[in-house]
This record gives sequence, structure tokens and C-alpha cells, in this order.
Amino acid sequence: MEGLDESLVAAAQAGSTEAFSRLVERHQQPLRAFLRRACGDWAQADDLAQETFLAAWSRIGRLKAGASVRAWLCGIGYNKHLTAVRSAGRERARATVYEADRDATIDAPAEDKLALERAMAELPAEQRACVALCLAADFSHAEAAEALDMPLGTVKSHVSRGRARLLQALGVCDEAS
Amino acid sequence: MRQADDRLKALFAMDEPPTRDTAFSTAVMEKVMRRRFLEDVALLCGLSVAGGGAFWLLWPALQPVVVSLSQGLAPALSAIALAAGALGGRARSALGLES
Repeated sequence: MEGLDESLVAAAQAGSTEAFSRLVERHQQPLRAFLRRACGDWAQADDLAQETFLAAWSRIGRLKAGASVRAWLCGIGYNKHLTAVRSAGRERARATVYEADRDATIDAPAEDKLALERAMAELPAEQRACVALCLAADFSHAEAAEALDMPLGTVKSHVSRGRARLLQALGVCDEAS
Repeated sequence: MRQADDRLKALFAMDEPPTRDTAFSTAVMEKVMRRRFLEDVALLCGLSVAGGGAFWLLWPALQPVVVSLSQGLAPALSAIALAAGALGGRARSALGLES
């Protein structure tokens, strides 16, 4: 799969929109899932994901051979999310939208799911991004550190604290914490 | 610990977007193609302006050459144009394209 990404990236760097289209198909799910968890608002997450792919198209020439495409995309997406949060200055309002959106879109709102969403909305943005990548998307700490441009130790600490807060919100007694 | 992580993961997985989402991919590629088109147009406009500017700057030097060339080549080009017209007419007749 990594090899396929590499060949698609090489073709896209040579100007192939078809190869880029396949990269979009392959990576839209993890990127959108990450952005949904990071920013909470599904519609905004999808807008950010589209902007991320547009930026990726412009910067594809800078992607080094062998680099993780999904980490690179999540990094761009995260920066776009932070820019949106800073420029709008309304993270708190977004968290409210997050919850309202969830209440409306979940078919069978499980109590745990709602508790998790509320707990996620209350985490600081950096912690939420680390949790979204490492606990929900199977990123290694190193990969998340690269994607989010954070020191490895900071990522580990964010994941550990975020995880503890989520489990506490779920009422799970974790022996490791 | 593993059980708690699995539970978190299962809850997170409930709002995963679909593996394939044609509408989303199409929307992205439409934007990419639009941007590419605008970049191409901007490049062509830039080249046209640069070419026009260069031609305007060089025109005083080019004008005598163009004039002398056109005067020298005018008879030959006229003959070629006449011959091409005549051959074209005969070919159309031979192919039955003329009414």
C-alpha cells in the first residue's frame, strides 16, 4: 500500500491529476475522520478536508519520497484547522455546534458515544488532535509528532492525558492510569 | 488497558466517513481542475504580456528586417498561394466535392 502511494505521488508530482484523484480516494477517509474529531463540526471538517487536498495539490512537489502521505495530509489539515480556530476565535462555539450536530445526526445515540463526544469537545485542540490520531486512527506517536509538528514527548503526554480524561468521562476504570 | 483502548476505538469508529465517497472525491477534483485551469490561464496571460512587451521593445530593430523580408518574399509567396488555390480547386473537383 505504501508502494502504491509512492508511485501515485511520483505520478502526481509529474502533473497527473488522475494519480492525485486516486490519492484523494485513498486518503479522504482518514483525513476526514481526523478532522471531524479534531474540530467537531462535520461540515466544517469536510470543508477543511477539501482545502487540505487543494493545498496538497499545490505542494505535492515538496513531499519527499517515502514520506507518509496520510501523516502529511493530516499535518496540512491540522494547520488549516488551527488557522480556522485562530482566525474565527470561536472554538468554544464550535464545540457547541459539535454537540448539536451529533445529537441530530446519530441514529441511535448511545450514551457512551455522546459522553465521548462531549469529553472530546472539552479537550484542548492540541490534545484532541493527538488523541484523534493516536487513539482513533492508529498513528504511532512518532507519526503523530511528525504530522502535527510537535515534540514526541508532548504527543505522548497529550495522548496519555487525553485518554485518561476520555476514560474518566466514560466511567471506565483504567488500571494503567 | 487494552480493553479500555478497544472500547474507545470502537466508539470513535462509529463516526468514520465511508471508505469510498465519490461525491467528496469529485468535489475535490473539480476544485483541483478549476485551480489548474486558472493557473494555466494566468500562465498564458503572463506569457502573452511578456511576449507582447518583448515584441514592442524589439520592434524598432525588427521592423527593417520584416519589411525587407516581406518585400523579398512577396512574389514567391503570391505564386505559392495561387498554385495552392489552383491545386485545391482541382482536387475538390476530382473528389466531387464541388456542387
